[in-house]
Amino acid sequence: MSDIIKKNAWVAGLVALLFVLLVLTKAIQPSFGMSGLESVARAALPFAFATAGMAVVVIVGGIDLSVASMMAVCAVTAAVLMERMAGVPAILIVLGLGFVMGLINGGLIVLTRVPDIVVTLAMLFVWEGVALLILESPGGATTEWLKQSIRGSVIPFVPNALAIIALCVAVVWIPLRRSKLGISIYATGSDELAAFRSGVAVGRTKIVAYGVCGMFCAFGGLSLASLTGIGEPVPGPYLMASVAAVVLGGVVLGGGRGGLLGPIIAVLILRIVRTILTLLAVDPNVTTIIEGTIMVGVVMLGTAATLRGARK
Amino acid sequence: MKKLLTSAAALAIAATMAPAAFAADYSIGISNTVQGNGWREQMICAMRAQALVEDDVSNLIVAHRNTDSAGQLEDLNNLIEAGVDAIVLNPSNPDALNSALEMAMEKGIVVVAVDAGVSAEGAYILSNNQEEYAYLGAKWLFEQVGGKGDIVYMRGIAGVSADSDRDNGFKRALEEFPGINIVHEVFTGWQQDQGKQQMFDYLATGIPFDGVWTSGIDNVIVDAFVESGAPLVPIVGADNAGFVQYLTEVDGLTGAAVTNPGSVGGAGVALAVDILNGKAPGEKTVLVDPVLWENASDGGRATITAAQNPNLDPEWPVSVTVPGWTDYTMDQIIACKGPGDS
Repeated sequence: MSDIIKKNAWVAGLVALLFVLLVLTKAIQPSFGMSGLESVARAALPFAFATAGMAVVVIVGGIDLSVASMMAVCAVTAAVLMERMAGVPAILIVLGLGFVMGLINGGLIVLTRVPDIVVTLAMLFVWEGVALLILESPGGATTEWLKQSIRGSVIPFVPNALAIIALCVAVVWIPLRRSKLGISIYATGSDELAAFRSGVAVGRTKIVAYGVCGMFCAFGGLSLASLTGIGEPVPGPYLMASVAAVVLGGVVLGGGRGGLLGPIIAVLILRIVRTILTLLAVDPNVTTIIEGTIMVGVVMLGTAATLRGARK
Repeated sequence: MKKLLTSAAALAIAATMAPAAFAADYSIGISNTVQGNGWREQMICAMRAQALVEDDVSNLIVAHRNTDSAGQLEDLNNLIEAGVDAIVLNPSNPDALNSALEMAMEKGIVVVAVDAGVSAEGAYILSNNQEEYAYLGAKWLFEQVGGKGDIVYMRGIAGVSADSDRDNGFKRALEEFPGINIVHEVFTGWQQDQGKQQMFDYLATGIPFDGVWTSGIDNVIVDAFVESGAPLVPIVGADNAGFVQYLTEVDGLTGAAVTNPGSVGGAGVALAVDILNGKAPGEKTVLVDPVLWENASDGGRATITAAQNPNLDPEWPVSVTVPGWTDYTMDQIIACKGPGDS
């Protein structure tokens, strides 16, 4: 019970921080309104999916350094397919491709017993090369309705981009988490040996977790294609950003604890921080320092608060 | 007494404000997606220096980081939210940014793309002619090796449009010289250390070759030859200060530098201010043609000597101004301070 309160306290703290930052943005730029919120939500799209994928593998006790490269493969595949076929089958193919790429990552880790960080580092280069083979230079096209779907807001005051993040993550994660597989993922992440002795198919659980990560990367690749209208084979800055958001979102590196809601709110926080720094015309070289400092500061504060809570 | 002081203060403020009363009060936004590269740093400094000397610019917001097109979209949207009057950007891709650029133009924001084009209708483009850049250098190199031989082709970043444009120009020159053979093609990522290591690796194989064409990672290639004791071959680079200096100093080095000024960024800011002041050019696209400086002839050597400046960062292009466009001094671009910077 107390564990649930603690977990929710972290998320509640992040929500409060996000709210404070939004108020601050409004104070700095009084004209900041719905269009500003929409652009923050759109910017968060690829980061949110990369982070969701990373969170799943971190919870199972691993890490995937190839998320940005898998997103690039999915983005170029989507852009190439959508030039030739309708949007819906192309999306399904890309989601399947992402899942398979993730399964390959997970399969290699489990079967070869090479550490996850080494395997996925190698796969980072493999997927990067695959993306360039599919599309040597940026090109292709994205279905028009997909590009339009991430703009505006159907539900009042909720940008479509935000609704899409919530919907896609919920559809994949909520049923998964409540299933036997979800429990196995948490069990494997918190203590692999104990999970194994309790009859959890540890290897299979890990492989599927990497598969889910790959599928979230496919969503990320699709959102890149929808944002830009083309496919870009060069991976974007999503690896480090996703690790940062996972940590900031209250997922313990090492596995077994945390959820997906916290990391996704953390993504929004990191995006709004960049908006604020741009509005204030802060020197771009100082901007990255500030972003890093905020991250360390928040995690330190959070850890201190959690530890004190545990002692009581 | 207090009243007197207040009115004196008011007078003083009025006096300082007076010259500015006729100047407009523009805010300009900058967006760039490659950080820590000499050319791009010169571009940013040229933008700051030009904004500083433009009387009509009071505020400059610089979004300058390493990111992809989606990240540049984010920066552009943030600049729109900041209420800028003009956006000068170095686009990561010609087609990927249209949603933000079209929204900016809808709001009456002037858009100027420098260095590479954008396909958004209504945007102005000011750039160096990249295809001509590669063609000019490659043609000189192929002539230099006598129309036949083995060439090492060191490109930029795979999939980036400047690299693709240069590749087109390079291939155009290659078609004119059937005796030329490309023995090795690599992407330096426009990173000094990476390019140098690649040349070390290739020299270590011992495979002979007759010339090197680089996409601007040039002085470190000369270093690689000198440090590994390999005999120098003709090398083509850009007008980076370090490489231009080598062309005059390194014994036995025959080479050519093709100009590719990063200061087009300053020209972009100047163009944006002109457009805001109602002096838009007739054409939407303004191309700056490159020039080739070589050290194989006396005339070429004289040109190179005249262009040098020891105070420049060795990774910066030597051509720090764009005649007819930029108004800042060399000291101002080296200082790299924009309006509002202390």
